[in-house]
Amino acid sequence: MVVTQVPIGRVTRCSTRGFVGAVRLPEPDIPAFGGFCVVETQHGQARVIGLIYDLSIEDDELARQMASAGDLSREQLADAQTNRQVPLEFSALTVGFAREGTYHYTLPPQPPLTLAEVYPLDVNEVHSFTERFDFLPLIFGADRLPVDDLLAAALKQASLTYPEKQRLPYLVQAGRECARFMAADLNRLENLIRSLQT
Amino acid sequence: MSLRFPQLLTQIEGLGESAARRAAEAARKLPVALRSIDEAQRIGRDELTNRIRRAGERWRGAHPTDEPVNVVFGLPPHPSRLNVIGADGSQILPDRHAPALYFLINIGSILIEQGTGSAPRTASEAGVFYDDADLYGDSGDLASPAWINGKRDVAEMETLARLAESCSGAPTLALLDNGLLLWLALQAGDQHRKAVDRLLAEYLQHLTRLRASGVAVAGLVDRPRSADVLALLALVLAPEPDPESSPAISPYRGLTDRALFAERLEPGQRSARFVDSSPVNRDFETVGHQIQFFYLNTGGAHNIARVEIPGWVAEDPKRLEWVHAGIIEQSKTTGGFPYPLVRAHELAVVTAADRQAFEAMIEQSLIRRGLRPRISQKAQTKRWTGARRRHRV
Repeated sequence: MVVTQVPIGRVTRCSTRGFVGAVRLPEPDIPAFGGFCVVETQHGQARVIGLIYDLSIEDDELARQMASAGDLSREQLADAQTNRQVPLEFSALTVGFAREGTYHYTLPPQPPLTLAEVYPLDVNEVHSFTERFDFLPLIFGADRLPVDDLLAAALKQASLTYPEKQRLPYLVQAGRECARFMAADLNRLENLIRSLQT
Repeated sequence: MSLRFPQLLTQIEGLGESAARRAAEAARKLPVALRSIDEAQRIGRDELTNRIRRAGERWRGAHPTDEPVNVVFGLPPHPSRLNVIGADGSQILPDRHAPALYFLINIGSILIEQGTGSAPRTASEAGVFYDDADLYGDSGDLASPAWINGKRDVAEMETLARLAESCSGAPTLALLDNGLLLWLALQAGDQHRKAVDRLLAEYLQHLTRLRASGVAVAGLVDRPRSADVLALLALVLAPEPDPESSPAISPYRGLTDRALFAERLEPGQRSARFVDSSPVNRDFETVGHQIQFFYLNTGGAHNIARVEIPGWVAEDPKRLEWVHAGIIEQSKTTGGFPYPLVRAHELAVVTAADRQAFEAMIEQSLIRRGLRPRISQKAQTKRWTGARRRHRV
């Protein structure tokens, strides 16, 4: 387990297909849509690797009341933004797991446990995990997710782990892999490739 | 869902009709009460006090003060800097079905340095009570909910005193989400008198600390049901009150002071001050903390609160202004209830999830010591029938 990183948050509910975590206040950069994250399972025997596909701030009646009241004092604003618990909920799709130094691009045997700490996946691990494109089927297989945007964000993040000259070849190869899944929908493929180029 | 709503329809209709009947009755009495308040002023404070005396020891109501009873006070200016403290508490009561016997008191507090722009200081401080002395006290009976509520009230006052002593450089207002008279002392019979007296002494000691620190303190009762001023106005109609008469035959029965002052006070205005006639107030008065109160329109549609203050705040014009202006300022964004009390409650409340997590930690602690914690079978069956949530991707 990478313990030098700051955890993104803790698991609040989960299944083998994914998990939801909560964090009190978001850091400027993490958690972020399309980011890879990792959480222990099976008492540390394995680590589930997730891809963050949704971020939401929980509903709050007081915040709504204050927003509509208009005439906020500076102290109330500072209280709302600094002190009040504004739990950010992030949802991650399971894209594989690691056990005994090997990556498996399938669902894990067990989900992580409630309140397990979720960490961002270390940049070296993002590189190693995404060298093979075997994690793509689990993304394409997810229902009701913004799959195309998620793919673009994840692949671009993976490309950043390469030296600059190798990034474009990586993305081209990724595009080819995606084409296998999107052969029946060329418009989607075209949009994805356009997203990878920007 | 276990409520069978079709079965309840008739009763719901009955409830609605009863409420409408009471509202119509109150509306009929209200104009008389409104006229009486001016009449009370004409009679004068001395005569009102005589009538209160003639009404006997059992009479409960509002005593007039040096302020004319029918006067309305406008909103005073708010200081450019004002520290505002709010404190509130919640508790977990002892549960014989739980894995261990204990009770918990959690106090939420906030200190807002109004005028500085800085983020307020917030805290949640919990105490767990599990010793026999805490659980059973002198009598040997398990601590009652009223007793634990009393301990919570003392802890709230202690928090206000501690935070007030940490403030400097600006006037300070300390707010409590409750009346200032210790509720436990009002309710306690002779059986637990010694224990209650100990708590009351502690509570009064914290009030003394607040007075010494130079702050203003106030207890705010939102949507009050009291009719103390109406009891005084009833004496206007009865120059020779019968000391044996029951409050049930008051001419204003069913009406509240809140309804009366909703007609008299515009947003930001307060009523005259009155003295609470509760017997407990004599204990407070003995040590210089006689409790007075006034009604305040905190904004919104007829949002009338009862504000309780010690005599040393009531009779200090500056401190009284901090209370009046401070509550109105802090209620602007929260619909007529002060923001510091909203936040203090949020910081204090122990949710069902908190309690579940806390009891899981207790169970772990017991297991580490070789004990086998078990909730009762009844509690277990309640867990079985509780709702569950499933993660879906």
